[in-house]
Amino acid sequence: MTAVRETAASRRIVVCVGSGGVGKTTVAAAIALDRALAGGRALVCTIDPARRLANALGLSSLGNVESRVPDHKFADAGLRPKGELHAMMLDVKRTWDDLVTRHAPDPARRERILKNRLYQQMSSALAGSQEYMAMEKLFELATDRDYDLIVLDTPPTAHALDFLDAPDRILDFLGNDATRALLAPAIGAGKLGLRLAQLGGGYVAKTLARFTGQAALSDLGDFLQGFQGMYEGFKDRAAAVHALLSQPEVGFVLITSPSPVSIDEALAFHERLHAESMPIAGLVANRVTPDLWPGDGPLPTPDDLEPALGDAAARNGGFARRLASTLGEHQALAAAERRALGRLFEEVAAPHAIVPRLESDVHDLRGLARLAERL
Amino acid sequence: MVTGKGGVGKSTVSAALAVLAARAGRRVLVCEVNARERIAPLLGAPPAGSQVREARPGLFTVNVTPPDAMREYGIMVLKFRTIYDAVFENRLVRHFLRVIPSLAELVMLGKILFEAKAEDRGRPRWDTVIVDAPATGHAVQLLRVPAALLDTVPGGPLRADAEWMQALLLDPARTALAIVTLPEEMPVNEAIDLDAQVRSVLGIPRAALFVNAMPEARFTHEEVARLEGLAATPPPLGPAATAGRLQALRAEQAQRYLARAQAALDLPTTVLPLLPVADWGADAIERIADAIAATPPLEVP
Repeated sequence: MTAVRETAASRRIVVCVGSGGVGKTTVAAAIALDRALAGGRALVCTIDPARRLANALGLSSLGNVESRVPDHKFADAGLRPKGELHAMMLDVKRTWDDLVTRHAPDPARRERILKNRLYQQMSSALAGSQEYMAMEKLFELATDRDYDLIVLDTPPTAHALDFLDAPDRILDFLGNDATRALLAPAIGAGKLGLRLAQLGGGYVAKTLARFTGQAALSDLGDFLQGFQGMYEGFKDRAAAVHALLSQPEVGFVLITSPSPVSIDEALAFHERLHAESMPIAGLVANRVTPDLWPGDGPLPTPDDLEPALGDAAARNGGFARRLASTLGEHQALAAAERRALGRLFEEVAAPHAIVPRLESDVHDLRGLARLAERL
Repeated sequence: MVTGKGGVGKSTVSAALAVLAARAGRRVLVCEVNARERIAPLLGAPPAGSQVREARPGLFTVNVTPPDAMREYGIMVLKFRTIYDAVFENRLVRHFLRVIPSLAELVMLGKILFEAKAEDRGRPRWDTVIVDAPATGHAVQLLRVPAALLDTVPGGPLRADAEWMQALLLDPARTALAIVTLPEEMPVNEAIDLDAQVRSVLGIPRAALFVNAMPEARFTHEEVARLEGLAATPPPLGPAATAGRLQALRAEQAQRYLARAQAALDLPTTVLPLLPVADWGADAIERIADAIAATPPLEVP
């Protein structure tokens, strides 16, 4: 067994993180499949899988519920799992609705929130909402189900760190004392709120209204009032998620492509995980250009290739010349990537795997199994 | 407006479009939106930060961030800096503004569009404003703020601003949206989804598709067929044939995804070459600009 695969095999929860477009979903699915093949009950919770991968996992028509990948999908791929593979796709809106339903003190309050326009906007469109709900869903799965392994794919954010920061930003919004204080007259809060509002002065609220319009302030007030009393429940749960993520049974797998932007993101994420004592299970460099030239000797010139090609047509059409320059470009790219990745491997003291750029996208269980072997 | 999936080369295309506009003698401003600034460095100039700065003659850049945009917008609305400072520099208020959904997007978009319509001594301040917009989902969030406000805010300064912003965004004589993608599966899927959202939700006039980093078709069919067999031979030919085979495979896949993107988006398309790593230096942007110039002209309002 190679490095990342081995460390992932000892965890109960694996969280795959990295910047957008590095192949997080595919690696997440491969890690879950690997456990299922070895005899475990594994679940992969994906965010936005490519259509063909979703089809491979039998996810084409499923929402927020887990489903078992059927036997015939394995048979098609020539695989015999000793365990079970389950898969699901996160539905952000429904996870929000479930959360509100769970914490609302009564049906009237629940309806009031679910119907509020600001809530509807927040639950589907607010930046960070997806990240928050991914965390929320993970906690639910980790506490209410008995999988041997849960692999969480994370949302395709531009900045990988958003995944850790977004929940706090949204909780900040829902439970913001400043917001409550300023809006206190509008939402008729308790005495403490009123006092703070007087401290800030009605003047502040009035000036803000000039800025945002009175109606926008009232909508917001209504929204926040709906959430009053529920905030503590939300906050406790977020704290529990945070605590869960620091457990040794959890492992973060950092996934990066060899591009400098993606490597920078991986480094930033690593620093952050390290600072928060969150366990790193491994580092996967995905879609790396393979080194094709043995040894350190000079690359062949067209003249070196011509004898082996051995015909006039090759010479006349410049076949040898094009092959030589293609190999040259390929090796230059491979070298640049190796240098950049070397810097990353030096910084991150965790097992790492290098997955070469495959000849086609991974879009079936067979391909996922092969990918797992590379980890 | 230049947008697309993260990592497809939006900044490269934005910088190249700016270079082209500047070459044509236009006064051009490139706006990055709360980004790790890349445009000015790509052009060999120091980062501009939040103040408009000339990167090369006639070509200016700025990185629009929420706090700066908020301050400028606040002062504009409230007219008096003293009122702004008294109210908005209040710790509670700053906290409050930070968490109102979409307010950051509103003030950033407001600042950009304000520059776009600004006039100095009766003449437009800029001939062209290029927005290196955020990646797909965040771009849609940014660009739909005026419409969302028109839906929810009945009156006041916010609504008045949303009105002129939306009019400017939807005016095909003044605004055009370009989608950038790579000839690969996920970026093309995302470009198709984004295009559908532009059509159904945003309504901003679509103008162009850029397919970036397109590998050239370097080998003939007969040669590709030969490479299959040659890849297993010993060096030096084996590795060269393997490299050739991988290149040919990528070129062929790229061709398929290009065709898919073109069929789905049906937009004037500019294909930009994949530059070898040795050419990633300072003149890469010039080469991309040349490639854009060599394709049929983009309708620039």
